Amino acid sequence: MTTENNNLEREEAVVVALKATFPDLTARVKRIRRVEASVSKALTPSVLVHAKNVLGYKALSHISCVDWIEDEHFELVYILWNPDEKIQLLIKTLISRENATMENIDTIWRQANTYQREMREMFGIEFPGFVGAKEFLLEDWDDMPPMRRDFDTKEFVKEAFFLRPGREDAKDVRDTIAKRSKEEIPEFAKKYSREK
Amino acid sequence: MAFFDIKGLVNPLSTLKQFGNKPHTVEYPKKHKETAARYRGLHFNDLEACIGCGNCSTICMNEAIDMITLADIEGKGGDSGLRPRVDNGRCCWCALCVEVCPTGSLNLTKEYNYVTKDADAFLWTPGVDNPEGKDNLSFTSDTNTSLSLFSRVPMPEMDGKERVKSFAETMLYYTEEAAREEASRCISCSLCTEVCPDHMHIPEYINAIAQGEDEDAIRIIYDNNPLGEMCGKVCTRRCEDVCALEVRGEAVAIRWLKEYAVGRASTAEMLQEIVSPDIQAPNGKKVGIIGAGPAGLTAGYYLALKGFDVTIYEGHEYAGGMVMYGIPKYRLPMDSLNKQIDYMKNIGVKIEFNTYVGKDISFEKIYEENDAMFVGVGFQKPYDIGIDGEKAIGVIPAVSLLFDVNNGSTPDVGNKVVVIGGGNVAIDGARVSRRLGADVTIMYRRRVADMPADWEEIEGAEHESVEIMPQTIPVEIISDANNRVKAIKYLKAEMVSDGKGGRPRPVPIEGSETIMECSTVIGAIGQEADYDFIPDEFRNKMEFKWGKMLVNDDLQTAIPKIFAGGDAVNNTADAISAIADGFNAVKSIEKFLMK
Amino acid sequence: MMKREKATTLYLGPQHPGITGNMMVKLKVEGDTIVNSTTHVGYLHRGFEKLMERRNWLQSFTIVCRICVPEPDPNEENYARAVEEIEGREVPERAQWIRTLVLELARIGTYLLWFAGQSGSAGLYTMGQWSIGDRDYVLDLFEELTGGRVYHMYIWPGGVRRDLPEGFEAKVLQTMDYLEKRLIQYDKLMFDNTIFQKRAMGVGWIDPEKAIEWGVVGAPLRAAGIASDVRKDDPYEVYDQLDFEMGHATTSDVWGRAQVRRFELEQSINLVRQIIEKMPKGEYYNRIPNPMKWVVPAGDAYVKTESARGEFGYYVVSDGTNKPRRVHIKGPAYVHAMTLLEDMLKGANVSDVSFIMNSLGTCPPEIER
Repeated sequence: MTTENNNLEREEAVVVALKATFPDLTARVKRIRRVEASVSKALTPSVLVHAKNVLGYKALSHISCVDWIEDEHFELVYILWNPDEKIQLLIKTLISRENATMENIDTIWRQANTYQREMREMFGIEFPGFVGAKEFLLEDWDDMPPMRRDFDTKEFVKEAFFLRPGREDAKDVRDTIAKRSKEEIPEFAKKYSREK
Repeated sequence: MAFFDIKGLVNPLSTLKQFGNKPHTVEYPKKHKETAARYRGLHFNDLEACIGCGNCSTICMNEAIDMITLADIEGKGGDSGLRPRVDNGRCCWCALCVEVCPTGSLNLTKEYNYVTKDADAFLWTPGVDNPEGKDNLSFTSDTNTSLSLFSRVPMPEMDGKERVKSFAETMLYYTEEAAREEASRCISCSLCTEVCPDHMHIPEYINAIAQGEDEDAIRIIYDNNPLGEMCGKVCTRRCEDVCALEVRGEAVAIRWLKEYAVGRASTAEMLQEIVSPDIQAPNGKKVGIIGAGPAGLTAGYYLALKGFDVTIYEGHEYAGGMVMYGIPKYRLPMDSLNKQIDYMKNIGVKIEFNTYVGKDISFEKIYEENDAMFVGVGFQKPYDIGIDGEKAIGVIPAVSLLFDVNNGSTPDVGNKVVVIGGGNVAIDGARVSRRLGADVTIMYRRRVADMPADWEEIEGAEHESVEIMPQTIPVEIISDANNRVKAIKYLKAEMVSDGKGGRPRPVPIEGSETIMECSTVIGAIGQEADYDFIPDEFRNKMEFKWGKMLVNDDLQTAIPKIFAGGDAVNNTADAISAIADGFNAVKSIEKFLMK
Repeated sequence: MMKREKATTLYLGPQHPGITGNMMVKLKVEGDTIVNSTTHVGYLHRGFEKLMERRNWLQSFTIVCRICVPEPDPNEENYARAVEEIEGREVPERAQWIRTLVLELARIGTYLLWFAGQSGSAGLYTMGQWSIGDRDYVLDLFEELTGGRVYHMYIWPGGVRRDLPEGFEAKVLQTMDYLEKRLIQYDKLMFDNTIFQKRAMGVGWIDPEKAIEWGVVGAPLRAAGIASDVRKDDPYEVYDQLDFEMGHATTSDVWGRAQVRRFELEQSINLVRQIIEKMPKGEYYNRIPNPMKWVVPAGDAYVKTESARGEFGYYVVSDGTNKPRRVHIKGPAYVHAMTLLEDMLKGANVSDVSFIMNSLGTCPPEIER
């Protein structure tokens, strides 16, 4: 980007408008054409409807989900676009990882159906009342939802597939050198060795 | 538009024109298309330039590269002996391996054809499977495009003219920010650990520093080196010579990072708190150590940690040996050394100072009272220069000058000093003489490139206006009526190859005698050990060769209770080797006493 | 007695020359008219987003280009730009111009590929023979610039991987001249061809009133008369310094979309010429630190590009370590091939399925990653 217009008036106006209607919502201007808002799970559908019908955010660009397993919640991000003001609005909400549910919004935007199908399959989030075929990307899947961070892909690969023989003679440089010089690396130091 | 749009219906017929045109497809396999200059084809590895660092294997995002042993490649210092092998079934030819190869040995070629009926032949050893590949290199990475960081973070130091005015430390050392930046250059290949005589766990402590875990770094260093800060200031750093980044750039500043890490603990108490070693309960065994140099101190520290009752007998007033008395304070300040030694004393190492074995206490007594002994006396006696007139006043061995200065005195060396020798001791003598106010010239028999001294020391001396005269052979020292040095006569030499491909020898040039006036001549051509402190009955049972004590693989002398290490034993004669000897002797002593 | 079903179930794909990739459209057909359709994807799920969680920031960039085969560069550019936004890394001026050049060349290549798909699904196979061959000239340019023909792995966070080789600009201009001449022949064969026009008019109509709400992006949106292009709406790289126009049509059918794309191909050729002329000298890369230890501070970013087929969106989240927390990619086909297609095909003719899919620019790999 060559010329950055530092005038963020329009973005600030969005923040003001949102907070006027939803006092419990926190919002800020991230940069030009990007506004971010955090809202509770219960309020999210109302905020989305309001943004679409009143504030002009007619286009749904993206719905994403981030697994913050350490904090024990999922972060759902609804990314909306206002084609007239040309501003992207990211509405973020947190839902619990245990019995993860969220209100179905495919009556607001039809294509949310696909995003919700994927989130149900990949993260295990239920959207009560929404209709969509169970299988989306995975076929005959009976393990835990794979995009969750506690799904270990390496373990899965070891159990589901066999490695083609021929690479068993692979050696590790650190071990080879330590053995040759009879160096004993203390256990607490090993976490600083090179990642394998 | 109407259905019968004549033009629109006729337009497509224009394609018939193509019948006359030459096809622009390439008639493969009759003709081959020439690939572009940067084409990413199959791998080629220059097996000699490759040092087996494994960086390619680590960056490969498909886990396609394995490091394997090849039949005719031996690992040695600076080369792990392993070479990469690519799994062509997984490789996506992204060439990240080429971008991170520190030596530039791994490249991609123009070849893209690999057809075989054997479904299991997907493993490709670059360089072995395509030795002709070096003529077909196509996607390469030079020092500009490589992702390796070849430039070292610069080290601030005092200006040359300023620093000769005092003995203040010349190196200003890394700030926290600079240290983290320098530590993040390391690719953790661990080739350095092999050539370190003590095998310190270098990638581990460097990565700890890079991640901001300085306390873990100190603990890793103290796992096998209790004098980390001292090494950080003055080690000969063989590790940096084989660093993977040294091949095309500057090695990671391994030594200075060590100095940074241990320097974060500013007192002995802090050191103890951070290292908080596991001190085992006393096991009832006693060990006597002669010499509180690096070897003796290291042995004492680790023996004390293992519950042995340790006493070190040191003839001088302070501990440290050659490190304390032979290294000038502008390289290794007193308080740095004292901090490290105080920590050792605090965890139970007893040191008896001013206790010269053979004079203040007898060797037999130590032998009787202890279950084992460790001898780390070093080389204390300097060699004579070996030329006429050297018995004059004002001709002093470098170690004596350094000893006196470190002891606190300021000897008068006059206004012109000539130093004979080319090692670190010679440079130390020269730079100390500069600080004592003299003009200094170093005379060395061979070329500057042959000088065994550290390049850093040579550079430091030159910045301090020390004149270095290579290919200079002194032949006579001239003194005045009072037997005081007044001049030195020398010959110039030319380097003559020995005809067998070895080092060229200096041959004096006939008729090139020159006389240079000087007030002091300092000899620094080497030292030897002084074994007078060992009584004959013991000395006759022990074995010596070329002035060094002979020991077995367990650092044990011919007398089973007596172990030895350090300059008096090993061939490399530097501090880190002494520390390594002390560390290894502890393992042997433990095996000997606690079986 | 068995009740006679009026409707037949047809499986179009996953191996079908009319399907632009590997996916399956399950059709319920009565006679020639489609009563119901369901899109089935999942044949190309490689688990990229999960893979990227175990690879560091530099290694992940080699994965993203594989999300779209005809046009990998918008993916690389999006990923790089998202990481740069989170980290606050400046990209040198020249690098931005080179990136724009690569994106426009990729756009031209994709439009040529689209010629083949669109005309081929109507039975006009000659177009495909020509345009795939001509696309090879563009791939030659890429081979010379990046070392790879299809998957370039050239745009990475911080800039681009190598500078332009000697004599590259001249070759690019030559190829552009050649393509411009070819366009005349393409026009005669496809765009000024009555049979094709008649075939494409009125087919695959999208209601312009609902288009934005239904998530239509790219050429189909512009063919519905709505002026929307990420390069103009949310400018990135150096598009705000370049002169170009968006395609425009009002019929919102396959023919409108074809017109839009044809117009934009010419615009792209022009853009390439402009970029070559205006490109400044300078650095092409702002180095990253040691790749194994490169940590991007915590934060997130949402970036978009306008690819030849529509709007690509990347939502990247960093948690302050050396590996991405979440890289979530959305391509235009995520909407076009799923809810939009299922709706559009109701009442359409069986022979039009592939035709409509090509006009929407569907490409399954980006749905499933």
